[in-house]
Amino acid sequence: MRSRRRYMIFELESEDTSGLIQARDLMNEIASSQFSLFGDEGAAKNRLRLISFDGRIGLIRFSHLHLNETRATLAAVHSIRGIKAAIRTKGVSGTIKSAREKYLPRLVKLSYESDGRRIERKDISGCIIRTHGVKVDLCPDDRYKSAGSEAQFMGLTSLDLCGGHEDADGTADGL
Amino acid sequence: MSFFELVNCYPEGSSSASRMALAARSLGYRGIIIFSRDPEKIFMPGAAEKVKGIEVAFGVEASASSPRALKSRISSLRSRYPFVAVLGSSDEVIRMASEDPNVDLLIHPCDSRRPLGIATARAASSNQVSIGFDLYPMIHLRGNHRARWLEALRRNLELIRKFHIRTAITAGAATHLDLRSPRELMALAEVAGFEPDEAKEALCQPSRILELNRRRWAGPGVEIL
Repeated sequence: MRSRRRYMIFELESEDTSGLIQARDLMNEIASSQFSLFGDEGAAKNRLRLISFDGRIGLIRFSHLHLNETRATLAAVHSIRGIKAAIRTKGVSGTIKSAREKYLPRLVKLSYESDGRRIERKDISGCIIRTHGVKVDLCPDDRYKSAGSEAQFMGLTSLDLCGGHEDADGTADGL
Repeated sequence: MSFFELVNCYPEGSSSASRMALAARSLGYRGIIIFSRDPEKIFMPGAAEKVKGIEVAFGVEASASSPRALKSRISSLRSRYPFVAVLGSSDEVIRMASEDPNVDLLIHPCDSRRPLGIATARAASSNQVSIGFDLYPMIHLRGNHRARWLEALRRNLELIRKFHIRTAITAGAATHLDLRSPRELMALAEVAGFEPDEAKEALCQPSRILELNRRRWAGPGVEIL
């Protein structure tokens, strides 16, 4: 009898700026995380399969009895090819079609824009790597500023940089 | 459910308080507690309070060179911050923190060489000190190191259940990429040995502590209305 399946939509958030992370790298990391947490026997009971991955949004298939194990497996992924990353689960559904219909439209409006501006402040200075809404990823001039957390970039918001209204482009005052 | 997460921000982490608040909001938290060894040095704390849809509270991680100095530091910090945590860096610190009712949360390191003792567990239970478990090693360690950490955690959980101590769990995030959603944290906690209800309660515990500390108390069990 065919086993019942579930499909999980996820979003990969990472410090990768040049598309280095491929579907194969992601699946290797997920499989490694699963084997490490549950062993061969656990992995055999819940065969994870990456259905699709476009560099940011992905769809993974798993057994309907192992939702929590799958969540734990994805949550335990912290870097891919040495690049700091996190897998954010968006939702779970019974079919690929309903998973896409329910959880993908909300993600369409998300898009990163690359940036070449600089921030010059008394306590923080560096190059803006990318911005997304009010979120700003900064590569600090002093690399020790993010050394403790194994992160390459600093996570800021435009609220930090100007302290003004949340819709203001706060990066402008530090250029 | 009012899930709260404990986070470190820049300069102790590498994300600002407002970025953490934005990330936590999108993951489904009702609030975050930003705790730091020196809360006055947190970068742009005002910006975090401007983020709508999430409650931001500031706590302090008390640290000192000796247990006696730590005790006096905790009593001086108590009136200024609604959340006082202690990182159990040594046996003396763990014992001292568990005996001090001014401590809200004792973050236990889950070292197999330094398990939670019966005396410590009993003291924590009678002084209403919650024990916090940082799941950072569960996410970042692999193989033998994680197995040892899990073994120590399971042993500690037995004592926690025996003495009915309240627990808290956190991902120990220092950047927005270290944050995990409440469901993911609960799934990790269940794999680590928590019961589903225990994991849910543990995620709500920081908000419960904040709520209690924001009320005015004349003494144990006596509230000023």
